[in-house]
Amino acid sequence: MAHNYDAETLFPPPLVDNDLSFGEVTEKICGIVEAPPNHKWLLALIPALTGLTILGGAIGWLIWEGTGIWGLNNPMGWGWAIVNFVFWVGIGHAGTLISAILFLFRQRWRTAINRFAEAMTIFAVICALIFPGIHVGRVWAAYWMLPLPNQMSMWPNFRSPLLWDVFAVSTYFTVSLMFWYVGLVPDMATLRDRAKSKIGFWIYGVLSLGWRGANRHWQNYERAYLLLAALATPLVLSVHTIVSFDFAVSLIPGWHTTIFPPYFVAGAIFSGFAMVLTLAIPARKIFGLEDFITVRHIENMTKIILVTGMMVGYAYAMEFFIAWYSGSEYESFAFVNRALGPFGWAYFIMVSCNVITPQIFWFKKMRTNMTVVFILSIFVNIGMWFERFVITMSLHRDFIPSSWDYYSPTIFDILTFIGSFGLFFTLFILFMKFLPAVAMAEVKGVLPQADPHWSGYHEEGHDD
Amino acid sequence: MSAHHAPQINPMLPPEKLKKGLALAALLGLGGLAATGAGYWMGEHEQFYGSWLLAFSFYTTIALGALFYVILHHLTRASWSTGLRRVAENLAANLPLMALAFLPIAFGLHTLYHWSHADAVAVDPFLKIKSPYLNETAFYIRAGVFFVVWTLMAFFYRRQSVAQDKTGAESHNFKMRKLAPISMILFALTLTFAAFDWLMSLDPHWFSTIFGLYVFSGSVVSFFAVLSLVALWFTSGKSELGLTIGNLHDSGKLMFGFIVFWTYIAFSQYFLIWYANIPEETIWYQVRLSNGWQNVSMLLMVGHFILPFFVLMSRHAKRNRLVLGLGAAWMLFMHVVDLYFVIMPTLHHHLHMHWLDLSSLVGLGGVFALFFLLRFRKVAAVPHQDPQFQASLEYDNA
Repeated sequence: MAHNYDAETLFPPPLVDNDLSFGEVTEKICGIVEAPPNHKWLLALIPALTGLTILGGAIGWLIWEGTGIWGLNNPMGWGWAIVNFVFWVGIGHAGTLISAILFLFRQRWRTAINRFAEAMTIFAVICALIFPGIHVGRVWAAYWMLPLPNQMSMWPNFRSPLLWDVFAVSTYFTVSLMFWYVGLVPDMATLRDRAKSKIGFWIYGVLSLGWRGANRHWQNYERAYLLLAALATPLVLSVHTIVSFDFAVSLIPGWHTTIFPPYFVAGAIFSGFAMVLTLAIPARKIFGLEDFITVRHIENMTKIILVTGMMVGYAYAMEFFIAWYSGSEYESFAFVNRALGPFGWAYFIMVSCNVITPQIFWFKKMRTNMTVVFILSIFVNIGMWFERFVITMSLHRDFIPSSWDYYSPTIFDILTFIGSFGLFFTLFILFMKFLPAVAMAEVKGVLPQADPHWSGYHEEGHDD
Repeated sequence: MSAHHAPQINPMLPPEKLKKGLALAALLGLGGLAATGAGYWMGEHEQFYGSWLLAFSFYTTIALGALFYVILHHLTRASWSTGLRRVAENLAANLPLMALAFLPIAFGLHTLYHWSHADAVAVDPFLKIKSPYLNETAFYIRAGVFFVVWTLMAFFYRRQSVAQDKTGAESHNFKMRKLAPISMILFALTLTFAAFDWLMSLDPHWFSTIFGLYVFSGSVVSFFAVLSLVALWFTSGKSELGLTIGNLHDSGKLMFGFIVFWTYIAFSQYFLIWYANIPEETIWYQVRLSNGWQNVSMLLMVGHFILPFFVLMSRHAKRNRLVLGLGAAWMLFMHVVDLYFVIMPTLHHHLHMHWLDLSSLVGLGGVFALFFLLRFRKVAAVPHQDPQFQASLEYDNA
């Protein structure tokens, strides 16, 4: 029986609904992977692949023609590319927060959602890395971003936060991938043991690294998991902190403000959780994961959205207050221009989607209504994209009024951005089919049966 | 979950232990306050106000950290933190006392705050712009609002919790949980603007959007240091409170976490200002990196981060009573250094320590401890009737 979530209790309800047994957990999760692809899955793959094709075309044309096909101008040297980069990197943060920080905080409800949130992190970082990569102009020289010894003695500028980004994001990607893979090993072994085809047996067999579930395996596993969690936790903060440095180390009013690092991190978690919800709500329906990703899981995530949304709101308020308090007319102008200038419409979208609409999550009725939560999660995604847009657009009225200009994206800006969603969803849809979407071994650990003192199954005669 | 046999718990602090604590607090309080009063009487007015602001900020931030802990406990519906919650409730209940301690600052406004001089504002275009915010009336009104809000919150949570000692009813938990979200919002806003008013406006030209978070992070570190020390004292000798080394470990872990958080915030503020190198912002650090103040800055970097980071990282360190105790005491000292670094350069061009700094800290500290301890006379030292209490003692803390 599904748990009744309306009653208020002191201690949290069980993490898995319907009293599933160990065997039922395995059946449900492995069943998704083992069943032949169905129509719904193929139908979802078509638009994703279309988007991926669009991305390929847009990038191909960009490499052929150059960044002139984008809407960049002077003074707008940074346009949608940086906006999309920060947007995608930010989305990744929820995965690491769920897998690392919630693990250290012993939030056991994370087990149901961490696997696919981590997958989302990895795919989002892949999408993010595309944008700075193609923005360099000569893509074939993109490896110059790395400090490689060369006969011309050409080095990247070590004082530039753009270089730190290269290190931060690639470290983040590597650690996230390792973390994800370590968690997958026991589940891969389960799939190996159940495999019916030779190919499946070999692929899952190689990936499971000879896992046999021995006591020693589990001890090493738990230790590795804890260490990776401790390593990944500072990365959650450092990556978006350095992304915020891209803006904040400059002298540009509206970019240079000391609250940027924590404000960006809060915003990243905010947007990441929105994306987790955008993915989780349809996925739990399509793949029948309602017993694992319960209403309580969704409700917890909406609460995190409410909290981080207010943190972001706090940062907006501090920026505005200090812009006035500083007495600097450039600061004040930048913020008044943001809200009331030519890009005021974008500011309006940002504040409505990030600060105002999430307030609906004060009400339990709204937090537990899947349709409302899904729509709200889309709102937050939109709002957070516009936040980065608003920040980047601070450039449009710089210190010399004669160079002031407006920014409009071209069709190629738009197609590249849409295409990045194609890449993201293609990877995600493939993941849902070929890898266990829920961390089976971890979920089994939070079942009541896993407690050594558990004394259920009385009707079956067990009594220990 | 299976039934455990709970060990016999006596939730009251042993009277002899409490008596010793009260006597020491009263002695330090009286001695310190007498010395501080003598300093004022000897004509050290400027120094007195500066030193008093240091002591006032130190104890207020500790009490605010305690309030944060209580609100966060209910907001996140945590159960592991129940065992030590009464300590936090009793610390936060000292906030109205801090309103009393604020009076000397209100009297010393003209000595401490440059913006409070009408003639200075008249010739300074920046102060003129800020005068709708930075003026005496608004300053007093805001301080009043802060203390009223803090007092109401601190009393509400403590009263509910103490009432539960008698009834053991779950309804108290639900009531406190219900008001936790709004309390957290009020807490964030009041602490931020209190930090702007009392500390940032010491240099009225300087500004930093992260400053509220900076004060907040230090406040939480110092609270967890106090919590660790009090918990060590509670569990010293033959304790029947039921608290375990696991509860101390929890306190140590959060202290460690917030040490890193403080560093993150302090570094973000310093680094962005250093990198952009705009004179109106760098001046604040320029002052703190010259004329002897650079030593305080270095001490802060080494002592508030590098040293505790490596010492307290290991699980064994946090579960060792001696290491945890020394670490917590050191972090309290570092919190003094942190506030000293923020406040004193506006008073002294050159690094200059004064005995009034010490006497104010000791005097106000004695009174602070006295009122804190008096609350344990008739009320249990642990919320033993909270349905989550037993769970917090048995929490898996491996």
